[in-house]
Amino acid sequence: MVVLMRQLRLGYLPSLGAIVTALVAQSPGLGLAQTGPVETVEIRVERFSFTPSQIRIAAGTTVDLRIRSEDTNHGFRVIGSDIDIVVPKRGRGTATVRFRAERPGEYVFECSKLCGAGHSFMRGTIVVTEGGR
Amino acid sequence: MDFHFNKEDLQDGRLDFHRFVLLFTHSFSDRLRFIGELELEHAFVEGFEKAGELELEQAYLDVLVARSVNVRAGMLLVPVGIINERHEPPVYYGVERPFVDTVIVPSTWFEAGAGVHGEVGRGVRYRAYVMSPLDAARFGAEEGVRGGRQKGANANVGRPAATGRVEWVGHPGLALGGSFWTGRSGFEFRPRFEVPVTLFEVDARYAPTDRIETRAQFAQISIDRAGELNDTLTRQTGVNPNIARSLRGFYLEAGYRVVSGAQAGEVGVFGRYENFDTQRRMPDGYLPLKQFDRDSWTVGAAYWPDPDVAVKIDYTFLRNQSEVVKAANMFNIGLGWWF
Repeated sequence: MVVLMRQLRLGYLPSLGAIVTALVAQSPGLGLAQTGPVETVEIRVERFSFTPSQIRIAAGTTVDLRIRSEDTNHGFRVIGSDIDIVVPKRGRGTATVRFRAERPGEYVFECSKLCGAGHSFMRGTIVVTEGGR
Repeated sequence: MDFHFNKEDLQDGRLDFHRFVLLFTHSFSDRLRFIGELELEHAFVEGFEKAGELELEQAYLDVLVARSVNVRAGMLLVPVGIINERHEPPVYYGVERPFVDTVIVPSTWFEAGAGVHGEVGRGVRYRAYVMSPLDAARFGAEEGVRGGRQKGANANVGRPAATGRVEWVGHPGLALGGSFWTGRSGFEFRPRFEVPVTLFEVDARYAPTDRIETRAQFAQISIDRAGELNDTLTRQTGVNPNIARSLRGFYLEAGYRVVSGAQAGEVGVFGRYENFDTQRRMPDGYLPLKQFDRDSWTVGAAYWPDPDVAVKIDYTFLRNQSEVVKAANMFNIGLGWWF
């Protein structure tokens, strides 16, 4: 069941040239209709890390980030965009964020929900490269 | 929150609201953050820690510069071991923290300081801080360096300590870490003499599936000039503190979720073996107190009606090497939650 779907406007981040779509699903295997190939990256979250914490994609690639928590609610926020979703608690499903960037650059993501003593360590990076990875 | 019932052999049971923790955070901007953690231990505070303690365990500013280098200053958790920086009750088995994380690594260990932290490559994280040192005048035979924490309270920093940790979290379910702490701890004495203290620690956590979690940790402390430290404290107080020159401990733990993914919650069972000796090597002229050469088995279960709520029960079989002083086993029930 899709519980949240957001389509950001083209050019929301004009300096980075990013197109971002986000959705949160409570069961796996759901997504939006595609117009091109979509890659999937599984991210495991626990206090106090994202694994992997560095994701490399080629510019122009659409990627679904499927985020699953091993413990409490976490947040997933991409700094500089309006992606800021809740990752459900362990056993409560998977959050999926669709991400696409047209231009190379680094996009920092972080936990946006206070999750414990080491909350501030929870950061990661999406590295968008020119062509291949 | 951490609410316990503890009963030692031959003693009456005790109810203790062990920890009540408030966390705060504020973002001044995407690059400048504040984190605070205020903890009330044992529910009630009065003079000289007779009942409880009100502790400012964290209060720092983070300046986020880049993935590889960020700057942090304020009241910081010492980055040593599994538990000290990751101590929310639902995330570890057992009502009480491991003994090794109490008498070898003195968690919760926090001091005022500053330093850098960051991440490089795929999941290699580090922190390196300078902090206020331990106070050797308050070391002891039973709990090692634990009494020497200054806790950022008008702390002496004549010779700051250095600490750091490197950990790898690049594979799902696996976390490997190593930490050190080194400092000079003799600042209370006149004439002053240095008491160099060094801690070395390695740890691992591995959860290959949703049901299985294993942990291991090893920590060792060296206290140089422990003989002079004992002599000095004996002269000052009339009591020999019998501080060792070497302390060591390790533990191995395995947990299994026998019920996983059920709507009514999850149930796990666990076992933990610990071996810890705060009198491992003594300075010349001092004999070890064998009751502090200890090992334990803790077995128990946890029920999580929600991932953020844990009901725990366990029994600890504690032994020591003394032929005179008998170690007391312990039965514990705990209720921990987080939101």
